[in-house]
Amino acid sequence: MQLNIVHDTQIAYRKLVDSMSRPGTISHFGEQANLIGMEAGCYGTTVLLAMVLLDTEVTFKICSEREEELAKLFNRLTYAREAEAAAADFIFVLNDTKPDQLEQALHAAKTGDLVNPHVSATLIVEAETLTNDTDLVLTGPGIKEANGLRIVTDGCWLELRNEKNSEYPTGIDMIFVDRDNQAVCLPRTTQIRKRVND
Amino acid sequence: MKIAYNFAFFDEGSKREIRRATLKAIAIPGYQVPFASREMPIARGWGTGGLQLTLSLIGKNDVLKVIDQGADESVNAVNIKKLVTGTTGVKTVEVTAEATLIQSRHRIPEIPLKEHQILVLQVPLPEPLRYYEPSEFVTKRLHAEKEYSGAWLMLFEQIMKYGNMSSGADHPVMVHDRYVMAPSPIPRFDNPKMNYSNALILLGAGREKKVYAVPPYTKVVSLAFDDYPFEAERFDGMSCRLCGAAGVFLDELIHEETGETYHQCNDTSFCLSRLNSVSAKYQEVPLNE
Repeated sequence: MQLNIVHDTQIAYRKLVDSMSRPGTISHFGEQANLIGMEAGCYGTTVLLAMVLLDTEVTFKICSEREEELAKLFNRLTYAREAEAAAADFIFVLNDTKPDQLEQALHAAKTGDLVNPHVSATLIVEAETLTNDTDLVLTGPGIKEANGLRIVTDGCWLELRNEKNSEYPTGIDMIFVDRDNQAVCLPRTTQIRKRVND
Repeated sequence: MKIAYNFAFFDEGSKREIRRATLKAIAIPGYQVPFASREMPIARGWGTGGLQLTLSLIGKNDVLKVIDQGADESVNAVNIKKLVTGTTGVKTVEVTAEATLIQSRHRIPEIPLKEHQILVLQVPLPEPLRYYEPSEFVTKRLHAEKEYSGAWLMLFEQIMKYGNMSSGADHPVMVHDRYVMAPSPIPRFDNPKMNYSNALILLGAGREKKVYAVPPYTKVVSLAFDDYPFEAERFDGMSCRLCGAAGVFLDELIHEETGETYHQCNDTSFCLSRLNSVSAKYQEVPLNE
């Protein structure tokens, strides 16, 4: 079976809506990601999200050791063009990249301005694993009381993200994906605290 | 089912564009995200914003409910249902609890929404500051600077003129302590239902080309003054003529022949389900008792 561009992307989009409107909710994209049926060199969910979100109207940037190859693939799949990190609408930070590249991407990502806060970047970051352990405590819109989240990844992102989002409503939205085709969203409104052990 | 159109009417590019705007809207609660707003086979101003959101969201397994001012069977609701089912083949229902997607014009259903549901509201005028500032260029900057004295002044003037805040519907709200937002022309009665709602609420304005959102569990406060608190419509001592419900939003009707005034539930599916449960109760009792 192949990925159905109409129905499978719709299912993936609804999961994304669910995760974006309820930060900390881990969605499973395995069923759709496995239908892509190609060895892209990144997680299946990353390619799936690119297919859900990208087209000729937006730009993207890939941070990876194999940037050129993957940029060609994403362009072929979606017709979206690659752009510099500071101008890109979507920034993909892949698992094979150096840890400091995530920091660089966060530094460079556009945050929009107060008049047009929606003209900001969405970062899609490949992490090792995502679980709902209470390593990080999330609060804010979409969260009833507090949600727990644990993201295993090499790069340092938390403080930089907080800095980038300090002047709400400008800021960046992040989507973390893991090896098991799970994804979690952290829109700019989500407040994240590290849990301090007693 | 064989459909002559694309699934959910739109081409995939159009859906993607609306989807990207929707995700941004969810990330910035209350902020009006501009979107392209495609031409639809119904006229702008007749729910095309809500319809476009519904079409971008809907999948084969969704169960759709469309309400027009509380009624499942009025013209606007029926036409939108026909278009959506004609291009998707999804099941439509009237019972609110059974729906996964609810598109509504000017009402939030009486029964509390659930977590898995998405409410899509049709919006004619998304800009709460439009009444005193005609320029979009300026209102965007007023939002940017959180300069809402005009919105307060508007309410103040109503109090000076009429002795109370006379906004019948579409009473402005503050979302997540940042954006003043038009909640669409829902009655004031429904405003509190947006505050910390279980379900995601999406609002679409087709003619004005804006999409905005209230994520679940988000603070939504109706604008009011300390000495003139926000008040929802009250129906003290009134109840529905058909099902007897009190404490719900009632329509006032006048009997054409007798001139008598009576009230009826505005939410027709809520009223119908109450009537059905009452009649089911009677059926349980054998007739000879």
